[in-house]
Amino acid sequence: MVDHSALKVNQTGIVVTVLVAFVGSFFFRPAELLIPVLAIVLLLGTFVPQAALFKQLYFQVLKPRGIVKPRPVEDRPEPHNFAQGLGGVFLAVASILLVPFEIAGLALALLVAVLAFVNLAFGYCLGCQIYYQLGKRGLIQV
Amino acid sequence: MNPQLWALAVAGIVVLAAALLEFARSARARRAALICEGAPTTEPYILYFTGDACTVCKTHQEPALAKLEGVRIDKVDAIAQRDLAESFHVYTLPTTVVMCSNGRALHVNYGYASARKLEGQLTEARNAVRAPATA
Repeated sequence: MVDHSALKVNQTGIVVTVLVAFVGSFFFRPAELLIPVLAIVLLLGTFVPQAALFKQLYFQVLKPRGIVKPRPVEDRPEPHNFAQGLGGVFLAVASILLVPFEIAGLALALLVAVLAFVNLAFGYCLGCQIYYQLGKRGLIQV
Repeated sequence: MNPQLWALAVAGIVVLAAALLEFARSARARRAALICEGAPTTEPYILYFTGDACTVCKTHQEPALAKLEGVRIDKVDAIAQRDLAESFHVYTLPTTVVMCSNGRALHVNYGYASARKLEGQLTEARNAVRAPATA
């Protein structure tokens, strides 16, 4: 069972953080530092669920106060964790690119935000599809 | 132009290119899948390709399929029945195939297909089989 509200909060967190970093960088370049911070948050959350910042925000604050209602769905957490990890890896690459190629770094971070938004709004999870493709080819145990 | 606007342009071009590639890919896969045939039946039916790891299948596709009353739905695990999935060029989950009663695939939907869309395709499948008889 997976609480899809936690996933939605996570996706919202990704979109908002990247947008704040992007828009903020127009006026104050260090705002781009939010991108490596987000990469760390996502990667850490993938391997240590207790450290998943946005999900903890949901479980510790939003859910108990009734701000966001839970939506448990018969589902497996692995594809979502994989997608989150993939997002973290792309943001880590974007963070590295920000130094020598600012345009490429920002563009990659924006793409991660677009994919998180597509998942949030339409339920299409590219990372989950990649997980399925890897499983189909026997590269990971699905 | 400042770097942020360049980045926005690059991301936009990548999204557009990905959308066009996806469109071309699904069109090619659909053309290839439409030549597939199954066993003839009395009524059109739906082949529903899904998998354990498919979230949209559970949250969107299955509720949509549940709205189709009296329609036979053959659920296929795309990982376990890889050969069948390959023959319909299933590259994304969920995938739904509307099969005519004569065993021909009439519509292939890669990704989520709404109940209304499937209903329309099933009506088309019923008419497609009846049409030659009335002509």
